[in-house]
Amino acid sequence: MDIVVETDRLGKRYGRTWALQECSLHLPAGRVAALVGPNGAGKSTLLHLAVGLLRPDAGTVRVFDSAPYDNTTVLAEIGFVAQDTPLYRDFTAAELITMGAKLNRRWDAALARRRLAQLGIPPDRAVGTLSGGQRAQVALALALAKRPRLLLLDEPVARLDPLARREFLQSLMGSVAESGTTVLLSSHLLADLERVCDYLIVLHASRVQLAGGVDELVAEHKQLVGPRHGNDPVAGVAAVLRASHTDRQSTLLVRTNANIDDPRWTVHEVTLEDLILAYLAEGETQSSHEAWGVPA
Amino acid sequence: MIWMTWRQHRKQALFTVIGLTVLAALMVPTGLAMRNTMASTGLDECVRLALDSEKCNTASRQFSNEYSSLAFVGILFVILPLLIGLFWGAPLVAREVEHGTHRLVWTQGVSRRQWALVKVGFVGGATVAAAVVYGLGLSWWMTPLSHAGLSSRFSVLLFDMQGLVPVGYTFFAVALGIFAGAIWPKVLPAMAFTLVGFVGIRVALTVLARPNYLPASTRTYPVFGLASAPERDKYDWILAVGVRNPDGTLVVPNGTVECNQVVEGPGAPCGSEFGIEAGAYNWQLYQPAGRFWLFQGIETGIFVALAAVLLVLAVRAIRRIA
Repeated sequence: MDIVVETDRLGKRYGRTWALQECSLHLPAGRVAALVGPNGAGKSTLLHLAVGLLRPDAGTVRVFDSAPYDNTTVLAEIGFVAQDTPLYRDFTAAELITMGAKLNRRWDAALARRRLAQLGIPPDRAVGTLSGGQRAQVALALALAKRPRLLLLDEPVARLDPLARREFLQSLMGSVAESGTTVLLSSHLLADLERVCDYLIVLHASRVQLAGGVDELVAEHKQLVGPRHGNDPVAGVAAVLRASHTDRQSTLLVRTNANIDDPRWTVHEVTLEDLILAYLAEGETQSSHEAWGVPA
Repeated sequence: MIWMTWRQHRKQALFTVIGLTVLAALMVPTGLAMRNTMASTGLDECVRLALDSEKCNTASRQFSNEYSSLAFVGILFVILPLLIGLFWGAPLVAREVEHGTHRLVWTQGVSRRQWALVKVGFVGGATVAAAVVYGLGLSWWMTPLSHAGLSSRFSVLLFDMQGLVPVGYTFFAVALGIFAGAIWPKVLPAMAFTLVGFVGIRVALTVLARPNYLPASTRTYPVFGLASAPERDKYDWILAVGVRNPDGTLVVPNGTVECNQVVEGPGAPCGSEFGIEAGAYNWQLYQPAGRFWLFQGIETGIFVALAAVLLVLAVRAIRRIA
């Protein structure tokens, strides 16, 4: 299996704070990966490192087996849509397509035009006057017209209303399914990701908490409901992520490494959303208590 | 990249051309009028032959009555390079970053270095071209004013408005703006930085450095026994004048004293109230008029060199922005 993005102990620092630290992960080819984490978790930093806008302060990042920083060979293979889908607001959509043709060696202007025509986006109006959803579609069309082998999207739907969000993700999935493009999509809107992604990277407090195929991860994690549980280990459980107790009963969210045969426990499947929330809750908030001078 | 640069800056280019056209519409008629007046009053003859007749003095007075106020219009041009620096230089990088579009354009297939070189080349070239046009135009316009002897073209503001130096100033202002925007990628702070930096460096160089580009010449003539000061080129740039006693002490700063010793009158001897002793002399420190173009060249060179350093630093800084 080809690895498209590979990072090894990758770190990026702004001043004294690390935006991303000890990040080691790999993204196999052909996957649609979700990069999940709360605001400020380092998602944008990771994407900027992958697209070569930033230079790592620690570790390495490799995209298609080369370092992407200021590397136009790699850049030609990557389509990138930055946060808030920035566009030159006084350019028309048609001019933006011309711009892409001037700035890229490989450029499928027909594809971009076809997409925008299907979506009913006017070619001769300044994109600044279009709606947020339309702008996001223009930005996506520009990224796809590069015919990239890797598509990086930084919160592309964060500012869109639910309908536009669904349309955007649908058209995204439609076009990457045809071309087999690898996608890395950052978001904090979990419900959307569940529909479209088959690979998951959870980033929290500038570190990778979880990475893997969605099906494998969902199969690996279980919710156990059983009698009030102390701290004694349960056979087949590798780690307890979250535990809640009532007087008689305990509910555990666990990562398993074998089947759970213990008859005292009822095993439930988990949803992707449960899983993500459990891992996000794990991150520490200690430092902020110190900074505010209040007890944790 | 060139298409892109043109598409992004064509509006600015249009406004600049309109601005220069408006200025030309103002300057060409007044410039021609001044030349006509010089010709009709015979003043240009006086200037060419360096005549000093009653007729010439009248013509000169008439000319200055009519046009001396125009010299102040020229002062507007001292700020023209600054305006170009503010509106062309400062937003070049800063606006991209403020709108986030640097992440769009720097993730296409063009390297950031190439992006920066084309942008800087195009904008730098356009502004230098504009500066050459108005520098030469203004030199043409100023010629009658300085020929009529209203002021030396070497004097501080007039020197700054004509010849080569506007090109140097403009190039420097644009480079400073680009640099400020790359270091501090927000439009308003970058403009403020450009404003303060440009005015600061210009004033510092004008006041501290320019008088010392070459060692100044001195001229002396005695206080006593001379009818008037010796012939001197009225376009010299006088840096300091004074009266010194024979031992060299400055007794009258910022003044000249001329006494006709032949006439012995009652009361104190001439100049004794200043402490002038026998054998005292008038003293002048000046840059000769003939050094005008040399000084223009030196000053332009300094600003072009500063601009080049700033541009190199700016291109480096651009590679660190994300």
